[in-house]
Amino acid sequence: MMNSRYTKPVNKVKWQNIVIIFVLLFMLISALPNLYSDKLTVHLTSKNAQSEPIAAQDINRLLVKHKLAIDEIRASAAGTAITLANSADQAAIEKLLTEQFSANYTIDSSIENNAPAWLKVFHGEPIKLGLDLSGGVLFVLDVDTERALFDKLQGIALDIKSLAIADRIRLSNVSQPNNHSITLSFSATKYNTVAQLLTKITQSYPELTQSKISNSQVTLAYSAAEQAKFRQETMSQTLKTMRGRIEELGITEAVTQKQGKNRIRIELPGVHDPEEAKRIIGATASLDFYQLAQHSNAVGILQMRDKSGRQLRMNSQVVFSGSHIKNARSGQDEMGMPLVNLTLDAVGGKKMSMFSKQNIGKPMVTVFSEFYRNANDEMVKKSKVINVATIQQHLGSQFSITNMSSPQEAQELALLLRAGSLTAPVTIVQQRSIEATLGVDNIDNGIKALTIGIGITLVFMFIWYRSLGLIANAALGLNLISLLGLMSLLPGTVLTLPGIAGLVLTVGMAVDTNVLIFERIKEELKRGRKVLFAIESGYKNAFSTILDANITTMITGIILYAIGYGAVKGFAIILCLGILTSMFTGVFVSKALTNLVIRENKSQLLGVKL
Amino acid sequence: MNNLLLKQHETLSKFRIISLYFATALVIFSLLGIFSKGLNLGLDFTGGYLTEFTTEESLTQQNMEALLSSYLPDSFSLKSAENGRHWSVQQADNELSLKGKVWLSDFSEQSALTIIPLDSIYIGSQVGDELINQGGLALITSVIMILLYLSFRFEWRLAAGSVIALCHDVIIVLGIFAWFDIPFDLTIVASLLAIIGYSLNDSIIVGDKIREMMKRNNQQSVESMVNLAIKATIVRTLITSGTTLATILAVWIFAGESLAGFAMALFSGVLVGTFSSIIISATVPQLLGLSVEHYNPAEQELCSLP
Repeated sequence: MMNSRYTKPVNKVKWQNIVIIFVLLFMLISALPNLYSDKLTVHLTSKNAQSEPIAAQDINRLLVKHKLAIDEIRASAAGTAITLANSADQAAIEKLLTEQFSANYTIDSSIENNAPAWLKVFHGEPIKLGLDLSGGVLFVLDVDTERALFDKLQGIALDIKSLAIADRIRLSNVSQPNNHSITLSFSATKYNTVAQLLTKITQSYPELTQSKISNSQVTLAYSAAEQAKFRQETMSQTLKTMRGRIEELGITEAVTQKQGKNRIRIELPGVHDPEEAKRIIGATASLDFYQLAQHSNAVGILQMRDKSGRQLRMNSQVVFSGSHIKNARSGQDEMGMPLVNLTLDAVGGKKMSMFSKQNIGKPMVTVFSEFYRNANDEMVKKSKVINVATIQQHLGSQFSITNMSSPQEAQELALLLRAGSLTAPVTIVQQRSIEATLGVDNIDNGIKALTIGIGITLVFMFIWYRSLGLIANAALGLNLISLLGLMSLLPGTVLTLPGIAGLVLTVGMAVDTNVLIFERIKEELKRGRKVLFAIESGYKNAFSTILDANITTMITGIILYAIGYGAVKGFAIILCLGILTSMFTGVFVSKALTNLVIRENKSQLLGVKL
Repeated sequence: MNNLLLKQHETLSKFRIISLYFATALVIFSLLGIFSKGLNLGLDFTGGYLTEFTTEESLTQQNMEALLSSYLPDSFSLKSAENGRHWSVQQADNELSLKGKVWLSDFSEQSALTIIPLDSIYIGSQVGDELINQGGLALITSVIMILLYLSFRFEWRLAAGSVIALCHDVIIVLGIFAWFDIPFDLTIVASLLAIIGYSLNDSIIVGDKIREMMKRNNQQSVESMVNLAIKATIVRTLITSGTTLATILAVWIFAGESLAGFAMALFSGVLVGTFSSIIISATVPQLLGLSVEHYNPAEQELCSLP
């Protein structure tokens, strides 16, 4: 203050004040987009130049008859634009208009924000609304990584069996005592030959740890670290697959995140019917390609029946699996039969090329596997043979699966394959669908509660503290603006119904900062200090108390944020941000305002005679 | 004048001690409720299905129950609000309930009622068990973290006073939920943590004042210093609690059914939190033997403050 170049005798402009004004302006601009909303506009454009635009009255009459509310209709030579009052009505209105006008007009809709042009320059975004305010569908999936680990080991065990057969080593038993280890049993005299097999196994599966139990038993196990790594990989792969599937469904605003150790939380705002989304998200489809076994009596063989009941014996080793599929499109062959065209990635292409070159004229089996829950709530893997095709030629990275039963089946398989296959079975453990109307009600109620809560607080503060109360009220208003601005700015903050309650609570508690300061000033005045000095030391001395009180609330807020999900997380975010903004406005902004307003020549302040 | 003040101090001390007994009795009574009746755990913790819908027609509970029983294969619990227009149906998470998955659409087609679906929730039963652990863990971690912070910032006796006060608040709120059989869901856990934050806020402000007076050390007894500190902060405590309670009341009344339990927990929590910050958090350190000497070596620190 002393060495400020801007110091003037009457009106002091300190650099702190400039920073405060700048920050507040920035917050205001960030908060403003919340006043405006995204409006859905349906456009009717005539297909040929002759047909005239439909009169606004006609459309309005039609919509009023069906009790559908709209904001405005604009008819011009280019076409008619209908702005909807409630975006929840989109489907109903589009259906109605299609029935009436689709012969001569094309109907499409777009989302526009009704903010003024100057505000759009700043590219501000309104606060994202949680599912309980916007309506939509929530899924929480449980990923069974244990099962995936078990399956992986089962594959390895089969592989070991075929390796042993190829090397003519007799193993008396290969078993899986638990989901992370395999036990090999053999007669003690064969230990040396088995040792060779073990070196081979180590070469192909370096992640397995070998331990000798006795001369006739060896255990191969995933170490704790490898298990953790496997689970993590499975989770991230499942997460990626889920994002792919949701993208395939055409939902853009979805939130997909990991929740806890083995859960995935998927929020789909705006989705009305959970069943379709559920079928695609919950499916655990995977596709594997097998070679038919050469020796019919060999061990390490998978047996399966195809649709006609024919027994098939396949080599347990997968030629390649669905994870190598880069793209899948459904289509038709020359005969009009549905099929799925596949494009493989580089690794898969190489594998396929190698395999098909050596096996021309031999059959290849395509197996489709899916997990589902049976009546006893156990996870069951159901595999079925889609087709058995003879390899006609040397195949590359592009080929197709024929013999699909219906075009719809082909489409769904293509979608699932495109979005990636899952190695771990998933179960929906939590599901919630919230209608958009409930969301609108929740917002209305929340805003009502907020307005009344603020109203009471403002009136009380004015009556109790008079002129300083007005400063506290101004600080409270600025606090609310800053909080809204901060929430709009930070990505990942979501406003939920408990969040609105948090907002109201923050308002009630925000005055605390000012009350503490004012009580302190009163104390100083009663001790006979001069007005400006009392204000100065009041702000200074109250600050450490304010800091202590807020840090502890912040600790609980952060813990709540760390463990909570969804609506509770929304509450925690507001609690934490509210503490930050209330300290900023309550201490710094109101100090600046006090300096601006209060002059030395007061006869009375805070009820204390001077 | 001095005499009068002194007399007031003594009444305040008496009031504090009597209230402390009262608080202890309340805590015991609440614990009794928690352990004998138990908490009425909501859907978040038990798992199951919840369907909410509204009807344009107003119905009595019995009528609706009779109508629904033919559509729902398993037992269910029905709650109504808004004069028999807002309904919520809760079913357990088992095979039987699963069969009636699409009952609402069947029901709205076949009954003569105009039904608007609002919300449908399914929570698996294993999710609930985890949530109970998580919620408990969150409460315990926050108490430990706060105890650490306070011990670092204040004398341990003052810290203990604040923590005992916040345990008192949480137990009484839990007791209210147990005795009145109010559904306890995830948002209530959130409100408990908010109550912890709020209760501490109050306790710290009283504690801060006590510390300040001790540092000034004007040859008074600990008892009268504590009383002075309470008197100095009582206006602030009442104003802040008043505005906070008023805003929570606004949420309770206007923000709708889904926040009612949340607002109730906060309201009772702030109410007992205000009480405990005056009675417990200042009295317990005194009983633990807080004395002026504990702040004497800290006198140099006073000068370093800006």
